[in-house]
Amino acid sequence: MTKDSNVNDLSLETKGTTIEKVIVAILLLVPIAVFSATPLYDSKGPELFGLTFFYWFQAAWLVVTSVFYLMAAMLLNRMEGGN
Amino acid sequence: MSGVGNYELVAVFISLFVIFIGLGFWSSRFRKGDLSDLGEWALAGRKLGVYLSWFLVGADLYTAYTFIAIPELVYERGAIFYYAVPYVGMTFGIAMITMPRLWKIAKGKNYVTAVDMVTDKFNSKTLGMIIAFTGIVAELPYIALQIYGMQAVLTVMLGQFYANPATITEVALVIAFIILAAFTFTSGLRGAVITAVMKDALIFLTVIVVIIVVPLEIGGFGKAFAGVPTTKAISPASAEILPSLLVNGFISLSLMSALALYLYPHAINGILSSSSTKKIRLSTALLPIYGVGLAMLALFGILIYGAPSALAMVGKFGPVTVVPALIYAELPPWFAGIAFLGIFIGGLVPASIMAISQANLLTRNVVKVAVPSLDPKTEARLSKYFSVMFKFIALAFIFVISPTYSLELQLVGGIIILQTLPAIFIGMYSNWLNKWGVGIGWLVGMITGVYMTYYANFVANSFPSLETTFFKFSTPFGFLYIGLIALLLNLVIAVVITFIFRMVGTGTPSKSA
Repeated sequence: MTKDSNVNDLSLETKGTTIEKVIVAILLLVPIAVFSATPLYDSKGPELFGLTFFYWFQAAWLVVTSVFYLMAAMLLNRMEGGN
Repeated sequence: MSGVGNYELVAVFISLFVIFIGLGFWSSRFRKGDLSDLGEWALAGRKLGVYLSWFLVGADLYTAYTFIAIPELVYERGAIFYYAVPYVGMTFGIAMITMPRLWKIAKGKNYVTAVDMVTDKFNSKTLGMIIAFTGIVAELPYIALQIYGMQAVLTVMLGQFYANPATITEVALVIAFIILAAFTFTSGLRGAVITAVMKDALIFLTVIVVIIVVPLEIGGFGKAFAGVPTTKAISPASAEILPSLLVNGFISLSLMSALALYLYPHAINGILSSSSTKKIRLSTALLPIYGVGLAMLALFGILIYGAPSALAMVGKFGPVTVVPALIYAELPPWFAGIAFLGIFIGGLVPASIMAISQANLLTRNVVKVAVPSLDPKTEARLSKYFSVMFKFIALAFIFVISPTYSLELQLVGGIIILQTLPAIFIGMYSNWLNKWGVGIGWLVGMITGVYMTYYANFVANSFPSLETTFFKFSTPFGFLYIGLIALLLNLVIAVVITFIFRMVGTGTPSKSA
């Protein structure tokens, strides 16, 4: 957005401290990195209700992912300030 | 299921469909705005809060893609098509970073589409039109996939009454589309959002019940895995885990799908109709949990191997009917009626949202650019007519093209939409790329993407129809999704061309944003 924009509260600059930014980056990248590391979870055991690890781990990781993302969202929303 | 049961199923299905239609028309009054204004019709006036925007974007998670296309290919090919799970896990992380930024840029400059930004940023109406057309074209196979899903449900339902349900199914589909077109026309995005709430409520109920009941009825996954036959396409080895030869295919499919989702006009449309960036972040963060149901539905492709009567039905009606066949075989008729309607409108509602976003692009970024004097009322009216037009183009699409697997339609759409990534995602963050780089990169990505798809299906193999979107390398990669290769070529060309223009010094600098 150009500086002449008159909508000041819509600044694209990310507010917040460096530490906050690093935490947000970790919270968003860890779930993605784990999903991308397919060989790590591509195994038969341990099974759950007869389901191989490959399937149930990824489904379970979706829940963990949401928790990570939710923490990132709350932190980002706080960094943004305002209402 | 007895003959009486079949009538019960149809009665429940039709009653719920009548309620659905009523909701669709009533919703034009919801948080009333001037529906002859495009921003009101297409973005519901940017008034959607956390829950409604969650439903709207979540509407994207439970479509025919989830109910029909993914289970179909897990059933046919095994673990590799479970890639949809890491895809939904990753795509929302990407969205949490990119989408609030896009929303702010759009709000600040009063953009209604991502193409508005591209046109302005690269200072090129031509590039804007190219990106608009790319979005419009990429949505078509995605809508066609929705129609395939609806057709699958109707086939299982009507197949109980008719020996050859093909014709009656097609008639029913056309009628459903006329009704859909009518209420999209009157209610716009409001119609889609309100009906998306009904759709998700039914689907939630369906997923939870089915996930608990069906594995119990069948006797667990162990029994299902034991029932997987050993064929060329699938074997217990490729169903239980991912064979190492397919690991790169799996990762490239999930990562590229994750990047592609929020380039689609309908997804961006959903984001831009939210009322704030904070609501976008919160609703997006919750979506991976919602994806657990998607994982379960994908597993239906495995579970069905433990259910002989459902398996027989799939043998008769085709692998596209895996989920409806399992529901029909394992649950009481009244519940199957609810579930079938859920899956049916699970195709209809997204089809409507997608057609609205196509219409939006065509009016705003093509017609309006060619005829700048267009007044807002005409603009909104044109969009409504275009949305009807696109629905019927997609409908015609499925009568003409019949891919071997419905999912491949969406994956071809993915190859196409990924070519807009440099213009949209990189354009949001950087001013470095110029319009020539982005434009020529796009051209190379499109040509190589389409050609590789053609090559993989009809030169390297001789498939009767569209069957794969993988490109096979002998070494060292194995299978890779064509979308990844085409996007990489696109990016390399975009950087090289921009660099050359800068060296020569003739490149028009893109506008700072």
